[in-house]
Amino acid sequence: MKNLVIRNLCKTYFDPYAGTHVTAVSDVSLTVEQGEFVAIVGPSGCGKTTILNMVAGFLPPTSGEIILNDRPVKGPGPERGVVFQSFALFPWKTVLENVAFGPRMRGLPQAECEKTAREYLALAGLADAAERYPNELSGGMQQRVGVVRALANNPEVLLMDEPFASVDAQTRMTLQEELTRIWQERRPTIIFITHDVGEAVFLANRVVVLSKGAVLKELAVPLPRPRVWDVLIEDAAFKALSAQVLQLVRSA
Amino acid sequence: MKSLLLKSWSFYVRWTARYPAVRSIVPFIPLVVLWAAIAEAGVFPRAFLPGPVEVAESFAMLVYKGILPEYLEDSVVRLVVGAAAGVALGIPLGVLVGLNARAREMLWPVLLFFQAIGDIAWLPILLIWFGFSLTTMTFVLVYTVLFPVVLNTALGVRSVPEDLRRAARTLGASPARVVWEVILPGSLPNIITGLRNGLGFGWRALIATEIIVGTSGIGFLMFDARRAGSVVEILLGMIVLGLLWYIVDGWILAPIERATGQRWGLVTRE
Repeated sequence: MKNLVIRNLCKTYFDPYAGTHVTAVSDVSLTVEQGEFVAIVGPSGCGKTTILNMVAGFLPPTSGEIILNDRPVKGPGPERGVVFQSFALFPWKTVLENVAFGPRMRGLPQAECEKTAREYLALAGLADAAERYPNELSGGMQQRVGVVRALANNPEVLLMDEPFASVDAQTRMTLQEELTRIWQERRPTIIFITHDVGEAVFLANRVVVLSKGAVLKELAVPLPRPRVWDVLIEDAAFKALSAQVLQLVRSA
Repeated sequence: MKSLLLKSWSFYVRWTARYPAVRSIVPFIPLVVLWAAIAEAGVFPRAFLPGPVEVAESFAMLVYKGILPEYLEDSVVRLVVGAAAGVALGIPLGVLVGLNARAREMLWPVLLFFQAIGDIAWLPILLIWFGFSLTTMTFVLVYTVLFPVVLNTALGVRSVPEDLRRAARTLGASPARVVWEVILPGSLPNIITGLRNGLGFGWRALIATEIIVGTSGIGFLMFDARRAGSVVEILLGMIVLGLLWYIVDGWILAPIERATGQRWGLVTRE
């Protein structure tokens, strides 16, 4: 079942200083199935974040279309949840209030918002942090909140923009394993932007390599689940796939 | 000698930890002692520089007569009404200027222009328009409080990270809800800074206005005392001004800051 269809997406900016148009995304078409986990990798400046910002509705495309479950995307909306690299938690709200924010904006009764929020916090092992403020948590904990806050709104697609790029290496591995576990349990559709090849291969069912604003290659990742680093780090298939993707990214 | 100093320092630290009020009183002790010493030394005639005791007596006397409480109430009510009006106008205007580029382009130069015409520079024309009245005083106060609040609110609005607004939108908040849920709390530390500046300027402007408009209030008390040649009451007025600001800052503004910006990690703790 098709979930998200991106057709001939293009984004150009006008650079007033240079007096020229700069192409960030030249021509990208991509189809994401319901419940799929797609990672988009590419070197910096390849347009991956621009694509995500257009799908999220933060930026209007110059041309092309983005269709989510037969509805064209116009502006930001709750059916497309976003997890930010900067976490983007509301500092003046407790962890619980942050996670309950989406349900509350949808107009659900207070008790139900809180129940949903607590359920999702438990999913990420954050039950004890519910009453704390984001600045009292470590970076890894904050991003766990960021992920479940987006999930608690039950989006049709979850967009993740280099979400683990600003946490330390060990925490990042834990977060990646937790994300694959949550994905297996709940099967949300995920589009995951990263520049980290290992991360892309570890997480996704499909890796899309981007180069200069266009799709260079798509690769399926047939590795079995559940995926854990202790196993995969020695796994020949994982190593071969990572090497292949890395080569593509470096040639990009 | 050194160990004695260290011992008394540790004693002071422990005491202030147990009774935080001590910390706000102790720094004034040397000041008062110095003042008393100079007054007692007789360098200046007593009528020129009375000592702390005379001022304290004058305080007791004016409180007893009911003049000081009445004037103080007048000044404080004016400040509160003026500040409330200034904030009520200033925050929405600041949000508008901060959020809307077109409004900013139109209003910013005008704001800077009028900010430069300092509060009491308005007095000559206000006295012609409204006479020696409450309207004149309120106008000056609202005017003085308004600008720091508008400019700081606008700054605060613009300093709210874009990702926070985007996050709220993707979680289903309407643009109006984003203002309420994200923009306002995010700019609260700046709004409080604006309020603090505004109240500080406003308090000064109020005293200046009371001196000129002169019907009641602490400023009037001081200027009236000058006419009677009573340095004691002038000094008393000055001390009341300082104390009152100390109370406003310590009992109202600082606790708000601790409960909001500092708690949320938007402002570094002391």
